[in-house]
Amino acid sequence: MSYDVEIVRQGLNALFDLKGKPAAIQSWAGDVLPTWPERPNSRSGQDAVELYHIGRNHWIARAALDQEVKLGEHLRPTDCPADISIVQVSDTLTFFRVTGPHADEVMSIACPLDFHETEFSEDAVTYSELFSLKALVMRCKGGFEFAVEQSFGDMVEDYLSRATA
Amino acid sequence: MTQSNRHASGGRIDRGQPLRFAFNGKSYEGFEGDTLASALVANGVRVTARSFKYHRPRGIVGHGPEEPATLVELEGEDASGNRPATTIPLREGLRARSVNCWPSPEFDLGGVNQLLGRFIPAGFYYKTFKWPNWHLFEPSIRKAAGLAAAPNNPPSSGHFEARHAHTDVLIAGAGPAGLQAALEAGRAGKRVFLADEGTEAGGSLLNRNLTINGQPAMGWVDDAVQELREMTNVTHLQKATVWAYREHNLLIVNERNPEQDRIIERSWRVRAGEVIIATGATERAMVFSNNDRPGVMLASSVQAYVNRWGVTPGKRLVLFTNNNSVYAVASDLVATGIRVEAILDSRATVPQATLDMVPGLSVHASTVVGDVRGRKGVKAAKAVSATGVESWIECDVLAHSGGWNPTVHLWSQSRSSLQFDERLAAFLPDQAAQNCTAIGAAAGHLALDQIIEGGEDLAYEIEPLWRVDLPDQRGKAFLDIQNDVSVSDVHLALREGYDNVEHVKRYTTGGMGIDQGKTGNINIIGTVAMQKGVPLQEVGTTTFRSPYTPVSFGAIGGLREGSVLFPYRHTPVTQWNEDNGAVMYEAGARWRRPGYFPDQGEGLQEAVNRECRAVREGVGVYDGSPLGTFELKGRDVPQFLDFVYSNVMSSLTPGNGRYGLMLSDDGLILDDGVVFRLDDHRWLVSTSTGHADAMNQHMEKLLQTEFPDWQVMITTVTSQWNNATICGPRARDVMQALGTDIDLSPEAFPFMSFRDGTVAGFPARVVRVSFTGELSFEVNVAPRHMAALWDKVLEAGEPFGILPVGSESSHVLRVEKGFLSLGHEVDGTADAYDLGMGWVMSKKKTDYLGKRSILLRREGASTRRELVGILPDDPNKQVPEGAPLTPGGRKEATEGLVTACVWSVVNDRWVGLALLQGGHGRHGETAHVRLKDEVIPVKITKPVFHDPDGNLLRS
Repeated sequence: MSYDVEIVRQGLNALFDLKGKPAAIQSWAGDVLPTWPERPNSRSGQDAVELYHIGRNHWIARAALDQEVKLGEHLRPTDCPADISIVQVSDTLTFFRVTGPHADEVMSIACPLDFHETEFSEDAVTYSELFSLKALVMRCKGGFEFAVEQSFGDMVEDYLSRATA
Repeated sequence: MTQSNRHASGGRIDRGQPLRFAFNGKSYEGFEGDTLASALVANGVRVTARSFKYHRPRGIVGHGPEEPATLVELEGEDASGNRPATTIPLREGLRARSVNCWPSPEFDLGGVNQLLGRFIPAGFYYKTFKWPNWHLFEPSIRKAAGLAAAPNNPPSSGHFEARHAHTDVLIAGAGPAGLQAALEAGRAGKRVFLADEGTEAGGSLLNRNLTINGQPAMGWVDDAVQELREMTNVTHLQKATVWAYREHNLLIVNERNPEQDRIIERSWRVRAGEVIIATGATERAMVFSNNDRPGVMLASSVQAYVNRWGVTPGKRLVLFTNNNSVYAVASDLVATGIRVEAILDSRATVPQATLDMVPGLSVHASTVVGDVRGRKGVKAAKAVSATGVESWIECDVLAHSGGWNPTVHLWSQSRSSLQFDERLAAFLPDQAAQNCTAIGAAAGHLALDQIIEGGEDLAYEIEPLWRVDLPDQRGKAFLDIQNDVSVSDVHLALREGYDNVEHVKRYTTGGMGIDQGKTGNINIIGTVAMQKGVPLQEVGTTTFRSPYTPVSFGAIGGLREGSVLFPYRHTPVTQWNEDNGAVMYEAGARWRRPGYFPDQGEGLQEAVNRECRAVREGVGVYDGSPLGTFELKGRDVPQFLDFVYSNVMSSLTPGNGRYGLMLSDDGLILDDGVVFRLDDHRWLVSTSTGHADAMNQHMEKLLQTEFPDWQVMITTVTSQWNNATICGPRARDVMQALGTDIDLSPEAFPFMSFRDGTVAGFPARVVRVSFTGELSFEVNVAPRHMAALWDKVLEAGEPFGILPVGSESSHVLRVEKGFLSLGHEVDGTADAYDLGMGWVMSKKKTDYLGKRSILLRREGASTRRELVGILPDDPNKQVPEGAPLTPGGRKEATEGLVTACVWSVVNDRWVGLALLQGGHGRHGETAHVRLKDEVIPVKITKPVFHDPDGNLLRS
């Protein structure tokens, strides 16, 4: 591999798409969700559940797959009131992790975002474009993590192997 | 020949690293640090090219990207075309050959064009090839056009890369001004991106013997580069050309061979807070008779070859100028021991300071070059004084300088304005349109002391001479060497009324091509100004466009080649499809789907017939995962769906669904799909595969712009649900065999309803919809279970003869039922009534999207194209899809087109669908398909060929 990076295509995560007023979601979800992120395009996390603020009145809750059932039981997507939307979307995204000394170089091939630490902080999370696909991008320890629509997973893997050939 | 023109010492080359290379099949030697051009000069190769139109012998003129004459084609692993020899770093084993000549530049059969020169002036082909028909000449002209061919094969190793970068300051050019700016910005802690097209930093200082504070200027350059290298906030690239300046300070940089073995070229897309243009200046040519002879070179290039590469292009030089800069060239030549026969200066008075630089040399003021002798190499230059005295001076190189143009290409590309400066006789940066600044020579500061404190340089002074204009002048005087555009061509354009500079460019092709007129454009403008008697500012410049220098397609494309040339999407069953011999191709929205599953030795039609028969007579299964699926939530979803669909959706009860059409503003069909109500506030909307993203945007746009107060939340769940659709008379048997806790009886689970439960042990949502016209169960599961479900369906279906079904068969089955297809019957002109679907247009709703438009249209009296079925009179005759229908099959305006035609296994014949004018009222008549060589009569029928009452799908 020409760039000193480790690329890992991850397995499924427990993912729930949350929409609505924060107070209404919070009221329904109780304490299962972490403290709400302070600003748009940032994230918060507690007890292995992370919350990504990715749009106006729009969040994604993420946890390990083995937490999916438990989280689902707490969030009760099919029962929640009309003014909020909770949809299990665990299978919709394929996550990749790019870590290592050259992670930022590989990301600069894939994505037009400015990943400089002053522009894209530790708690940043945002939708952007990755190999021209819509992608959810964030930092992780030693590099970056991103997710694309699941059906594009093979293509992104193909792209990454070409980028690092 | 062994580098006969190479100096014993000097230059920025490594004599310890000899390199072998081949040019036009002959073997030569150069050194590490050479360009192909400098190595050819070193080896005394004078004729290096033939001109584009007249095939005149040409030699090397410049030393950088301005080179207009010597374009080469590289062979072998470097294969690429139309590369200026001056921009190709020499390497061991390089193979190059001249373009636009055969068999060689020394002896070129195309040279016969020189005899025809007077008959083929600018624009001759516009006038000549009009009669009898341009298309008669087009093939041969296209064959003859162009220079080098594109390589036949991709590079044997390495790949191209494109990446993004962000910076506070982008500096284009690492000459003295660019380096100085980079140091200042870097020291201030800014993120700096410094890119320079040369192999090493220094710009013009590499070619000249200048000093800064009494020390060699290159020492200052070395120190600056070292300091920049130590700054972590600075990215400094060499061999990196900033070739495009786009909106919002987006610049594109092409870096060549950043890592020799791996990346051929890297394209940087840099978003800069501020741009500093330090691109230097380009020397322009003088225009005189036969100014294209091999050995006529730019003076600064002669200086560069001598100082930078340690070679002398000739033994006896004459210099011709209208400005001071040539005197520094002469001084360097003399210092190297080269014989300068004379300096011809068109100015009446030569400044004393310049004369002081060349003591002892013969300087002729008020003198121009009237002609050049030597077809394949300069032998003498004719000096003509202002009084008309002529004399031939023997020489082998004529070095000339028509002055300097600030390199304002990037500045102009940014849409910033230019202003003609009379003192410098050049266009200079004026008003900036983006956050950019021009500095150094690019801003008109042409002497080093204007750029670097302590820099020592001769002041720049010029008296413009746009062309040598002598009585009884013979021989072509070229304004644009690359395109063979002469003064007479421009005069012809003006005479014929093409007097705008943009028109002159297009009429003559002056300023086009690889070099984009870097040395000649200003002379064209000057010639136009002289002829029209107006100032140059009034003539103006042509538009500077990217790329500044040629860029390979590979660099632009980056990684996008091979399997990732186009995006592709897979479902969990894709691998199974490929393993089982499916013929795969894209089927909308970048999904790669199976077209059909041929058995060994089967063609498409046999395979499709077999699959269709399975569905009609037994059972089939297809992967319906790509269908667009959205979950809608909120109190206002019912009224929203009633607005976006033409029929009523709000009346649906939980557990049930309805087919509907989405219309555009103009009442035409946008998409079709099915809506299910999951519970009071949750709904599921499915769209066509190809329009899924567009429909999502359509709904979001309406909500955000028209109904911002409505409580509707949309979540895309296309990839949260995959489905295996089991269809055919035995579908219920297969479902039973799979095992499910859902009551599958038609009474408990009717058509257009769904049930949640388990199927084959997986949590599933089973939906009773049908796109084939047969009993169908769409088994939706999470993608994590899809591959396993697929295996179980095939296993459970085996006793019933189940077959996987591809999209070709789906197409046949839907045509037999007369189900519409986007892109076929829905062609952007048809509305629901045209397709016989008036039943889906609500009469009850006060409004829905497109209603007003469609009502207005239906009130009109025009005859519409309407959907009909067609049966060819010959049942074995296939009609091509898209074929026109004309009245009686005559050569008249069409009255419709065939939208689909398939072999129907249930009808044992070809059947089709068509949009036909007034079609609904013409059932039973005969229409005619008009093809190039035949007319096919077809009987007009209802557009349904199987189970017209829909009993099977409801069974």
